[in-house]
Amino acid sequence: MKLYRALAVGKRVLRDVINDRRMILLIVVTPIVSMLLFGYTFGTEIKNVNVIVVNEDKGVFNSQLNVTDNISDKIIANVNRQILKIDYMDNVSEAVNKVKNGQAYGVVHFPSDLTSGVYVKAQNSSYVETAPITVMLDKSNTEVAESISSSLNDAVSKTVDSIGVTSALPINNDPIYGNNFKLIDFSVPGIMSFAVFAITVELTLISFVNERTSGTLQRLFISPLKESEIVAGYSMAFCAIGTAQSILILGVAIAAFHITVAGNIFIAFGVIILLVVTSQSLGILISSVAKREAQVLQFMPPLLLTAFLLGGIVWPLEGIPSWLLPLSYVLPPTYAVHGLRSVLLKGWGLDKIWLDILALALFEVVFLVLAMLKLKRWEA
Amino acid sequence: MEYFVQAASLIKKYGNFNAVNNLNLNIRAGEIYGLLGPNGAGKTTAIKMICGLLKPTAGEIYVLGKRIPDGSLARFVGYMPQETALYLGLTVHQNISFFGEIYGYRGQEIETRERTLLKFIDLEKFADELVINLSGGMKHRVSLACALFHEPKLVLLDEPTVGVDPELRVSFWDYFEELKKNGTTILITTHYMDEARRCDRIGFMRNGSLIAEGVPAELLNYTNTDSLDDAFLIFSKQDGAQ
Repeated sequence: MKLYRALAVGKRVLRDVINDRRMILLIVVTPIVSMLLFGYTFGTEIKNVNVIVVNEDKGVFNSQLNVTDNISDKIIANVNRQILKIDYMDNVSEAVNKVKNGQAYGVVHFPSDLTSGVYVKAQNSSYVETAPITVMLDKSNTEVAESISSSLNDAVSKTVDSIGVTSALPINNDPIYGNNFKLIDFSVPGIMSFAVFAITVELTLISFVNERTSGTLQRLFISPLKESEIVAGYSMAFCAIGTAQSILILGVAIAAFHITVAGNIFIAFGVIILLVVTSQSLGILISSVAKREAQVLQFMPPLLLTAFLLGGIVWPLEGIPSWLLPLSYVLPPTYAVHGLRSVLLKGWGLDKIWLDILALALFEVVFLVLAMLKLKRWEA
Repeated sequence: MEYFVQAASLIKKYGNFNAVNNLNLNIRAGEIYGLLGPNGAGKTTAIKMICGLLKPTAGEIYVLGKRIPDGSLARFVGYMPQETALYLGLTVHQNISFFGEIYGYRGQEIETRERTLLKFIDLEKFADELVINLSGGMKHRVSLACALFHEPKLVLLDEPTVGVDPELRVSFWDYFEELKKNGTTILITTHYMDEARRCDRIGFMRNGSLIAEGVPAELLNYTNTDSLDDAFLIFSKQDGAQ
């Protein structure tokens, strides 16, 4: 091996990079942005989780101080309000309905004899039965459910310590969704959306950049094909690919890991197909700024990393800093992940996931129109 | 006289660079017109503007009496770009039939037309071969077949014989003449001056402008030379001196 020849190759590679400004941008900016996104996303506590409290605790009258002692109020006062956003309701079943409709993540019910039971037990250790605090959670999002549980446990511990009660307060868990959820139940909708998004955007980008660089697109432009027909043709092909992919992913997840499928599987496929079509239009749109295949690779890492971290795939939106949230809401996978989790884990139907479908459809229309506008037949 | 292509005062600028500079072109119905010139003379830019792929900075173009761009011309114009412009992952048959389908051909029509074209480009045995596995010359032949599938009235060929062996180049030109006999008008760009003798008329391009135009024999007579290469050099010198 001759060092001077290896050096010549090395110099050539560096010159190639230096001559491509976007590549320099990728090398410098992407790691910085990635680290910032990663740090801010995973380094941030889950916040503003909607929880409904139904407080029926009557408390115990303290004749010495002429006040009513109420343990439930003390627990609520000890709750970290940055994590839990508490609303109050009087009726447990109405509160549960709110969770079932996706308006809150959980219900905390304090029974009427909570305080009295604790005091009786403190005075008489042989007293056994105390009506427990009941926590009813939507466990379809494991991170959020975990966060509610730990926040409530902290508040209860602090309260028990402050009033000097030695015995722990009983908490009864009665999940509204996800009694037997495994981690994979939560992961599959996210991973499936991410895989479909990543592969479709990348395949479309490569195909379309190829179409531009090889000259075939020029051929299509002088044929009777309309821009809309080109894009529609791509959509059809990628719909087929996306559906096949989803069947594979979902099939493996069901067969090998027995994941929960609470809702209509065809609605789940519908959401995926919509994500595929949207991703394909985004791919065509991005291809208009990539002049060669190598540049395609420059777009993918930042796009995929952003979608992975901010799309609710592995980390809930509630854990994303509020200043980064707008970015989450302009990512199509965000809506697909939410829609899929709702269908697969909660058994929701179209009546409840219509907003996710509408958002995906809007993205599709916007990307499609922009992609067609970018497909300029008559180049300036 | 009926002109199939009329380009008037055509200019294409890229920043301060004039790729095409005040080009006037009139191509008659049924003729083979050769646009000749060295690389960078502006031939491809001119042909792309005539196709409607590139917007002129100034000037106007009429093809079959319609001002470019006009979508209704698509069925009447065939274009073979300088790049092979084929789907490398498809077979020869799949490429040719795809271009038939987008022009509205169906089933038996496609098969018949494809057979004729495969015979013409002498690639009948390679119909099921992936294009990526073909030689450069073979790819050019498939590309030509794709451009001719819909039997266009006007064929725009950008350097169709580059990378094609001499024997096949001769048969290409034989076919162009056959197309001409059937009433097809051909605009062809080439830098092979010798083969341009087979054009009805030729135009020499230099620095984006037409520096001479006429019947090959007339241009040879005028410059008192035997080859179009020499004729081009003489016109280039005259143009440079002006």
